[in-house]
Formats: sequence, C-alpha cells, structure tokens
Amino acid sequence: MPDGQFESLRLELLRSGVTPLYVERTILELEEHYADLESACLASGLGADEAARAADAALGKDSELRAAILAHPELLTFRTRYPRVAQCLHSAATIGTLPGLPLLFCLEHRPELARWGAAVSVAATLMGSVLAALNWLIVLPF
Amino acid sequence: MAQTNPPFLTGVPELLVLRMLSGREMYGYEIVKAMRLVTHEAIGFGEGVVYPVLHSLEEGGALKARRKSVNGRERVYYAVTTKGKRRLEHLSDEWKRVSSGVNSALNGAHGDPEHA
Repeated sequence: MPDGQFESLRLELLRSGVTPLYVERTILELEEHYADLESACLASGLGADEAARAADAALGKDSELRAAILAHPELLTFRTRYPRVAQCLHSAATIGTLPGLPLLFCLEHRPELARWGAAVSVAATLMGSVLAALNWLIVLPF
Repeated sequence: MAQTNPPFLTGVPELLVLRMLSGREMYGYEIVKAMRLVTHEAIGFGEGVVYPVLHSLEEGGALKARRKSVNGRERVYYAVTTKGKRRLEHLSDEWKRVSSGVNSALNGAHGDPEHA
C-alpha cells in the first residue's frame, strides 16, 4: 500500500469536524482492510498492480467514505454539531474566567510578588524610619 | 466495484452488522466477508462504509470495541452489547414488518386502494 494513501481523507475528515478519535480509528481500520483485500487478491493469483486496483475499488472511493461518515452526526465534534451552543458556551466560559484572571496571575507569579512585597515593606520601613528621624531632629530644637 | 444501493436501504447495514456480530466478535474485514457470504452478495457497497456504521453503533452503546494485535497486525474487534441485542431485535422486527408489507404488495392484487 502506498504510504499516506489515506492522508487526504484524514485531513478532509478533520476539516469536516469529525471527532479526531474516530478519524484516527477509521484510517487505521481502512489501512488494515486495504491490506487484507490486497493480500486476498494476491492470493487469488492477481498481479501486484491488479491487486492494488482491486483493493482500491472494493474499499470504495474517498468521497463515498467521507459521505458515509458525515451521514452519522454522532461521529462529529460537539462544536460541529451545535455551532451556536458551542459559541455561547465559549463566550460564557471566557467571560466567567475574566474575574479570576488577576487571582490566577498572582498565583502564577507568587515568588515575584513575594519579593516585590518584601522590597516594598523594607522600603516603607526605611522611609518611615528616615522621616521619623528627620522629624525628631527638626522638631527637637523648638 | 459493487454498485451502491439506493438511500431507502438506510438502516440495513446497521441491521446486518448487528446480526453478523450477534454470534461472535469480529473485525471490519471479517464482518464484510460474512455479510457478502450470507447475503449472497445481493447488497453492494464500498467496503469502507462499514466503519462509520460500526463507530456509530459503538457511540450509541450497541457495540463495544477492543484493540487486539494478531500476527503483528492491529485489529479492532467489535462485539454486541446487551443494548445492541435489544436494538437487533427491534430492527429485525421492523425489517420483517416492512418486508412482509412489500411482499404482500408484490404478490397481492395490484390495484386501486379504493377498490381494495
């Protein structure tokens, strides 16, 4: 069997919204089926080219296979079957996560935020000390 | 290549697949061979179209699949579940009812329903 024989079918199915799990399974099974058909043709006495042609013909055209798969909506992704619902859920999920983003940011940058907090605390303490000292020095003579 | 059947045979592949698998688990190529044998090749189809039917039945819980390596080949074996057996009974009854109706139409007097 030529390598990548079903590659165009695989890409077409993925583009059409078939669940990737089923696309991979279908391609694997078609490859195995083709090999079985070819072996049977060779065993019946056909030459290699004839066997390949016969196996191709028995398996069916890509367009026929694609149509047969797309006729089963349960094999399509949720997004392909219900595009509007998927769009709404996507938007709702996006809006829902917005308030949590600052929290997620803080959780993700904990070490940097801790260093920043410590630095600000040290700076505030130092500045406070300096101001207090200055205040004491300035106020004392009066 | 065998000629594809008209759309009114929709549902027949499902029935045949369940019937073939009611005896034992099989993989796609075996199922097609068994179908050709028992139907005396009366039903023509591109053999690859059996896979969407299998996957659809599996998705609906009528079949379960398992991968098995046999002589270095990766096979996906299918077996009927309890739900699949019920589905087979239902489809068989439906088919018998429809075919009995068609047979009686073919064998009976063809005529005007008003004079039946």
